[in-house]
Amino acid sequence: MNPAALLQHPLPTRTTKCTTGCPILDSFLHGGIPCNSITEIVAESGCGKTQISLQLLLSAQLPTSLGGLSASSLYLHSEFPFPFRRLRQLALSNPTLQNPLDNILIHPLHSADHLLDLLSRLDPLLVHPPPQTRFPIKLIVIDSIAALFRSEFDNNPSDLKRRSGLFFKISSKLKAQAMRFGLAVVVTNQVTDSVDSSDGLRIGNSWFLYSSGRRVCAALGLSWANCVNTRLFLSRDEENVKDDDGDIVNTRTRTRRFISVVFAPHLPHSSCEFFIAKEGVLGFDSCNDFHLENREL
Amino acid sequence: MEVSSLPISASHRAKLISAGYISISSLSSISPAHLARDLGISENEATGILKVASQRGGPERTIPSHHSIVDGAQTAWDMLHEEESCRRITTSCADLDDILGGGISCKEVTEIGGVPGIGKTQLGIQLAINVQIPLEYGGLAGKAVYIDTEGSFMVERVQQVAEACIKDMQEYDSFLRKDLPARQVNLQANDFLANIYYFRICSYTEQIAVINYLEKFISEHKDIKVVIVDSITFHFRQDFDDMALRTRLLGGMALKLMKLAKKFTLAVILLNQVTTKYSGGSFQLTLALGDSWSHACTNRIILYWNGNGRYAHIDKSPSIRSASAPYAVTGRGIRNLASNCKRVKLILRARLAHDEHICRSLI
Repeated sequence: MNPAALLQHPLPTRTTKCTTGCPILDSFLHGGIPCNSITEIVAESGCGKTQISLQLLLSAQLPTSLGGLSASSLYLHSEFPFPFRRLRQLALSNPTLQNPLDNILIHPLHSADHLLDLLSRLDPLLVHPPPQTRFPIKLIVIDSIAALFRSEFDNNPSDLKRRSGLFFKISSKLKAQAMRFGLAVVVTNQVTDSVDSSDGLRIGNSWFLYSSGRRVCAALGLSWANCVNTRLFLSRDEENVKDDDGDIVNTRTRTRRFISVVFAPHLPHSSCEFFIAKEGVLGFDSCNDFHLENREL
Repeated sequence: MEVSSLPISASHRAKLISAGYISISSLSSISPAHLARDLGISENEATGILKVASQRGGPERTIPSHHSIVDGAQTAWDMLHEEESCRRITTSCADLDDILGGGISCKEVTEIGGVPGIGKTQLGIQLAINVQIPLEYGGLAGKAVYIDTEGSFMVERVQQVAEACIKDMQEYDSFLRKDLPARQVNLQANDFLANIYYFRICSYTEQIAVINYLEKFISEHKDIKVVIVDSITFHFRQDFDDMALRTRLLGGMALKLMKLAKKFTLAVILLNQVTTKYSGGSFQLTLALGDSWSHACTNRIILYWNGNGRYAHIDKSPSIRSASAPYAVTGRGIRNLASNCKRVKLILRARLAHDEHICRSLI
């Protein structure tokens, strides 16, 4: 191996990014999901991690002129069942894509060792994609990484150490393949409730993450946090809205969803509101307030 | 080469030979005081003999000062002069520079560790840019080697920091050099990018290979003044079946980096991750790679959160006092937590005065 070959000089002038399909979310992410690094999406269930992941499977197929990667995707899922119907619905709302479902490869995951094994056998697939796909694979989505680790490890030091070693192995392999083939890697993660303690560990831009009115933190701990490059947090909150309808005042609850940057090498601390519609996950800026009611799924 | 062929007085020659110094190489690692004692002559005469011997020894032997003839050794006085004249790389944060004694020092290995999101990569990028600041603005006009093991180096961010640095230099010009003829900052962000030698490595074997290769690389690119490794830990935290191998590899790497820093007078910056250690009944945050690694670095800085602010704490340093300072990660890079224009001007003026003082004292 020639160390001189590892030098990248001169540097490329921009990092390739994969659009999310929504211009507001793209602008929040400064272009989209970057290639050659691991982007993690952390959220409690029902916030939209899988929705965004499915959306990326389609937007990756867009041509590079529209911000896509002109690429097929590999979707590794550890949570069952796979949402086929939703994917088909999303594909139908994007008529510009031809046979988009042909360019999406889906594989179930059963355990962390299974994932490692799969990654080590992935190279031939990345070099020669299967014949029914039209593009080479440039996006890998793992949904979710947490589910692979939640069951088979006990809470004793040696198991935690073994688990931590696996994190670095998996991350190292993913990053090496991302580098070699110019892939964008998206990993989704779950949250756990954060125990109320004064000496909590702060990771990222805010002391605590809140979702559904509860204090939460990303699962898998500090070790895994060291393995990802970018961490995005999705949250939801129920808001009480008063409708003044002449004499009658109705109060009802409205779900508000936010995506924010926990840490990223290229993004400032910011957050953006979004909603989930039939066409997918769409960002939302405050001047479009009155559209929100009608669009929410 | 023989002592008998040296152009020294016969009595000195006889004393040398009877004391056992037959060849010139036997005189290569001896101090004048020791030789004077051995031969029973004055120290001045001994110095004279050694000077002649080293001149004869070969054209590549140079005498750094009239006090030290010994190969590779220096007097403390020379070292003090060198240290004072050794420029430091500014971090662009005045408070952080203050506790560091002016900035990151060259010729030393500095380890910087902290939790994810605290700003390690940001600090690395800032230093890779700041080392390139031209001499007339108080910089080193050097180049940087950036070894990326994690993939956090984003070119758009580096461009952003470089553009802010250029703006700072233009501000320096307009505020502090009003009386001098106008000078254009003829630098673009792309110039800064071109001066960063970026290595992307994906395994620990590649990491070791690149670090071993650096000696050759830097001797071919003599203007490299900083080597940044982001992060030094990542590829070593997988399960190593043989932990002794890991310790040996890390030790070898640390030694190589220290040698590089000393030989080429450059700053080596190692970014490290944190892990939790179970000690005294509770979990504490500690830098990764274990206790044996903590001896590898000369200086150690820990980045941490305190309230809503980021702080840097000098954890270990042979020459700087232990202290903490706040800093901020802004769109322009690493900056002071409470930055305002006036403060920047004062700092720049102070640096200019400090540099002038150094120049004057060396004359």
